[in-house]
Amino acid sequence: MRAARILGVAAVLAAAFASPTPAADAGRGRTLAEERHCTSCHGADGRSATPGVPSLAGMPEQVVVLQMIIMREGLRVVPAMMEFAKGLTDSQIEDLGAFFAGLPPGPPDDRGPPDPARMRAGAALSERLRCGACHLPDYRGREQMPRLAGQREDYLLHALTQYRDNQRTGTDTQMSGLLYGLSDADLAALAHYMAQQ
Amino acid sequence: MFRITATMGLAAALALPSLAQAQQAPAPAWAQGRPDSMANSTLAPNAPKLTVTPPDQVPVGRIRLPEGFKAELWAHGMPGARMMALGSNGTIFVGTRTIGRVYAVTDQGGQRQVRVIAQGLKQPNGVAFRDGALYVVAINQVLRYDNIESKLDNPGTPVDLTSAFNLPTEEHHGWKFTTFGPDGKLYMQVGAPCNICEVDEDRHAILVRFNPDGSGREVVARGVRNSVGMAHHPQTGQLWFTNNGRDWAGEDEPEDTLGVVQRVGEHFGFPYCHAGTMQDPDVRGRQCSEFSPPALKLGPHTAALGMRFYTGSMFPAEYRNSMFIARHGSWNRTQRTGYDVVRVTLDAQGRPQMQPFLTGLLEGNTFHGRPTDVQQLPDGSLLVSDEQAGAIYRITYQR
Repeated sequence: MRAARILGVAAVLAAAFASPTPAADAGRGRTLAEERHCTSCHGADGRSATPGVPSLAGMPEQVVVLQMIIMREGLRVVPAMMEFAKGLTDSQIEDLGAFFAGLPPGPPDDRGPPDPARMRAGAALSERLRCGACHLPDYRGREQMPRLAGQREDYLLHALTQYRDNQRTGTDTQMSGLLYGLSDADLAALAHYMAQQ
Repeated sequence: MFRITATMGLAAALALPSLAQAQQAPAPAWAQGRPDSMANSTLAPNAPKLTVTPPDQVPVGRIRLPEGFKAELWAHGMPGARMMALGSNGTIFVGTRTIGRVYAVTDQGGQRQVRVIAQGLKQPNGVAFRDGALYVVAINQVLRYDNIESKLDNPGTPVDLTSAFNLPTEEHHGWKFTTFGPDGKLYMQVGAPCNICEVDEDRHAILVRFNPDGSGREVVARGVRNSVGMAHHPQTGQLWFTNNGRDWAGEDEPEDTLGVVQRVGEHFGFPYCHAGTMQDPDVRGRQCSEFSPPALKLGPHTAALGMRFYTGSMFPAEYRNSMFIARHGSWNRTQRTGYDVVRVTLDAQGRPQMQPFLTGLLEGNTFHGRPTDVQQLPDGSLLVSDEQAGAIYRITYQR
């Protein structure tokens, strides 16, 4: 266990009330995203061209914030992200969330054509699992629930597989419960269907 | 038609995929039991907030209290602050869920210092203090930090009691509330690993107590869906507990409840009967008349969590031995409810009655804070944790 850290001291509150703290700032987030090389893998416009790396353009702000926090805290282990998440402050992470949320979403340039069989299977699964109840009917996501529409298919399959196999926890365990017992083919169909939205 | 058994239902779903597709989608725990009529409902659990809320954004100014009471911001900068325990030297220990931390708050000359004393744990919601030691209970982990208040800056490696307690590993409703009883035992709950399902009645949906070393496990109550708050009555010693009702069975039912254990091992009805009177629409086979009813209903979907009896002398005399209960607030209801602290008093016959105490954090259908636990300080003031703001308020009374 790491040595204890002092997080903050409740100082004279009157002073704090005098200067309201600025909210998350997409401009600061952009600068930080470039400095920290987020955009090298996640795409300069937030649309990832890197296999296995998610697009973040148009991602709900809270998704980015919550995932960055749990990666920083070591609660979600993504080796490629550990170095980048380390040392970020809460407000820096909120700025990153605002930046990516404000980018126009879209599919990656290398997205292939839809496969009719997998589209049908994916649509049926999504209907049965009611993906749209949380991720919304157009799968744009909201709050802590990520955008699925137009996400990289390889990343979606990776994430779904990790959830199903209990290798990944989100900010709760809903996805693992939802995907319990699905086959690899089911997950592939779901990933394909969402990527093609 | 819709009957989930934690393992059997899923096994059946796997064995009969076509039937499963037609009738029985394996739903995540929170969605289990959702009727077809609500298939497209966009009600979903509230997102946690894991970043620091600057003090000027903590909603202490919105809080409303009865005449003579006052709320101040006592400590802040603790994302996810939930359950509290008081150390013998005055340290307040604070458990969390998603962010995996345990905080320690000390008062230094009228100012509070916040430390992270543990991190990276799996939902360390349960904290309790006894004989100089802090007990931290995560999903299936129990850690003991001896002489903790003398080494807050460097807590060191705790004694790991995990294997002695041998708690279930299910994560859903697996976070613990824990407290010591007057008998010196460590009490906690193990929730149902689902919204609604049949469970092993000796393993899930129970209140359970242990010797502090993890031995002597004894089920105190059964059929309790998920209790995230319990306290022993200061005079009778009886165990009172809050219980969260199931979701997707109605806007106004079942209500969350307050129960009292009259007999060790008694059954409060889950999953067959809710709040003493409501037969479950999905899981049938046993009648409400077979089970113990709750002492009081605490409102639909209100998420009644942390509770304590008030034993101090700062508040008016009629507050003595009444209960404060933090209602974390609803998600499975169109119009939100809860997001407050209520007070429950017992009349001469021991019958409980509920009245509002701390309000103002729910504005229309927007919530600004989520009261999660209450804890009395030695001076008789009352702390209230707000998970949403990562803050603790202190309630004082002056005539």
